[in-house]
Amino acid sequence: MESSTSPPASTGPSTPTTGPASRRSRAGAGLSPLKRFLTLREGSIVVVTIITFVYFAATTPHFLTGANFKTLLPYFAPFAIIAAGQVFVMTLGEIDLSIGAMYLWTPFLFWKLVTSAHFPLVLAVIVSLIVAALLGAVSGYLIAYIGIPSFVTTLGMLFVLDGVTLIVSHSEQVTTPGTSVTHVGTFASILGGGTYSELIWAIGIVIVLQALLSSTRWGLYTVAVGSNKIGSAEAGIHTKLVIVRNFMLCATTAGFVGLLEAIRTSTASPDPSGSNTVLLQAIAAVIIGGTLMTGGAGTVVGALIGALFLGILNDGLVIKGVNANYEDLYLGLAILIAMLVNIYIARVRKGAGRG
Amino acid sequence: MAELEYGGEKIIGPGRADDDVLRLEHISKRFGATQALRDVNVHLRKGEVLALLGDNGAGKSTLIKILSGFHKPDGGTMWLKGGAYTPKNVDDARRQGIDTVFQDLALVDELSVFHNLFLHRERLYSPLPFLNNRVMRREARKRLDEIGINIPSLDVPVARLSGGQRQAIAVARAIASESEIILLDEPLAAMGAKEGAMILDLIARLKAETSISMILILHNYAHVFASCDRVSLIQNGVVSFDRPTAETSPDELNEIVVEEYRRARAAAQGQLTS
Repeated sequence: MESSTSPPASTGPSTPTTGPASRRSRAGAGLSPLKRFLTLREGSIVVVTIITFVYFAATTPHFLTGANFKTLLPYFAPFAIIAAGQVFVMTLGEIDLSIGAMYLWTPFLFWKLVTSAHFPLVLAVIVSLIVAALLGAVSGYLIAYIGIPSFVTTLGMLFVLDGVTLIVSHSEQVTTPGTSVTHVGTFASILGGGTYSELIWAIGIVIVLQALLSSTRWGLYTVAVGSNKIGSAEAGIHTKLVIVRNFMLCATTAGFVGLLEAIRTSTASPDPSGSNTVLLQAIAAVIIGGTLMTGGAGTVVGALIGALFLGILNDGLVIKGVNANYEDLYLGLAILIAMLVNIYIARVRKGAGRG
Repeated sequence: MAELEYGGEKIIGPGRADDDVLRLEHISKRFGATQALRDVNVHLRKGEVLALLGDNGAGKSTLIKILSGFHKPDGGTMWLKGGAYTPKNVDDARRQGIDTVFQDLALVDELSVFHNLFLHRERLYSPLPFLNNRVMRREARKRLDEIGINIPSLDVPVARLSGGQRQAIAVARAIASESEIILLDEPLAAMGAKEGAMILDLIARLKAETSISMILILHNYAHVFASCDRVSLIQNGVVSFDRPTAETSPDELNEIVVEEYRRARAAAQGQLTS
């Protein structure tokens, strides 16, 4: 039997390689800076986003204005945070379909805690996030320990949370506690109400979660479980725990974004179709950003840029005055084209990284 | 080792040597309706390389997985260096000095060579929780050099390496944990002659330069006689043959296996005709 893969270099057992000589052949070395940039997982979406940005800036006079930048923020910052959590789940090769419902439900829990249980605002936020994490733990437990596929588990969780939201709210919009339409207090301005509040949260959370993913055991095990679950278990990694905690993280970010948005808009609307759009846009941001749906590789920064791409696209189409009926069509086509470019560049990356 | 007769069947009974590091007596394991192991007796001496042979489904991998802490035996006793050995899990077995290179190697394709070498034994910038890649890369290079394994770049994902290189990394990882006993489940499976020779060479070097004891699951008799001190044959959930390689021959092993096939065929035909 001949092994089908050819070793990239001599594998003579009696010729130990010396350190410095071997370091020269590190992947990506000897490439032009542009190609080396493209070999980054996030490289391709960065290029696509820049092209989109330049297109709208060149063709629309109002695109490059401070006012439009502020308009763009809510199109992008919340998705960047919610996608950051989803990256941890999708890098495992799993998916969390309940993030939209978690986003919908958490503000109503917060509202109920303040109005009915008379919790102080900050405590209510903390308790709401803890509940979100625990609900994520329930999903994670069913997936990791009972073995229900994540698609089904989180689909169930989606409808449960949508249902509970409708019951609790009596299908009526509520005013978010701690906010008022006329005045933005400290509490509200920190948690979503301030103009740049969501942007700052998004950047902060993305930095922390990217560091968690690429520089800690948590992240390393996430990639390991997503790439080879049995092998990870054989290496001694507690794979079930890795799965549960990532679902907890994902649920927490989704709940947090729900709160930020409810505070920013001063209202919480029990609208499951709106939250489903949030879910799909977040997943789109993750995938466009370069995270593999099959697991084993993911990037939080990529998801942020994926969210930025979607935000620019949404906002740009509105500014260009595209007929509202055409918006979804263009959005869909743009996502497909972005993915095609992504895959093409990924092929360049694979070719370049070899040996 | 005593050869016992149980109802016409030959079973190797519990055996021992003064310098044993590991002893297994009367090990049994059942999975649902399948009795994978019935009464397995194995011992391993310090620095010894033991070959485990047997048909597919005879129980070799089950035995390895019990030793490695992946499965728990239903019955029987295990001793490690004189004390009772009851590993709670793979980590616990490793802590006690038994490390396993599973057939699928437990390598993570997407991770780099050095992250794989340190998987679940990462070096951190303690007290900070961040991975210390610099130290891991340097130590990985040192360890691979020590055992004479040439991997050009430690930063490439292991998916890009050849079968032999992957096996070598898995073995290097087991050695790195300073285990005294290493279990290798089919280390030469799906490997060409050249790559296989590299692994056999590595095993020979470990035998010559360290006091590590090894149990190897093998299929090829040439490999058994090239690298092992002793050979145990598992048939139908028991060890039915156990002898130093110097006192047996490929022909003798072949005869036993051919006989097993003859009996299995007769049994199958008996079932068909009845």
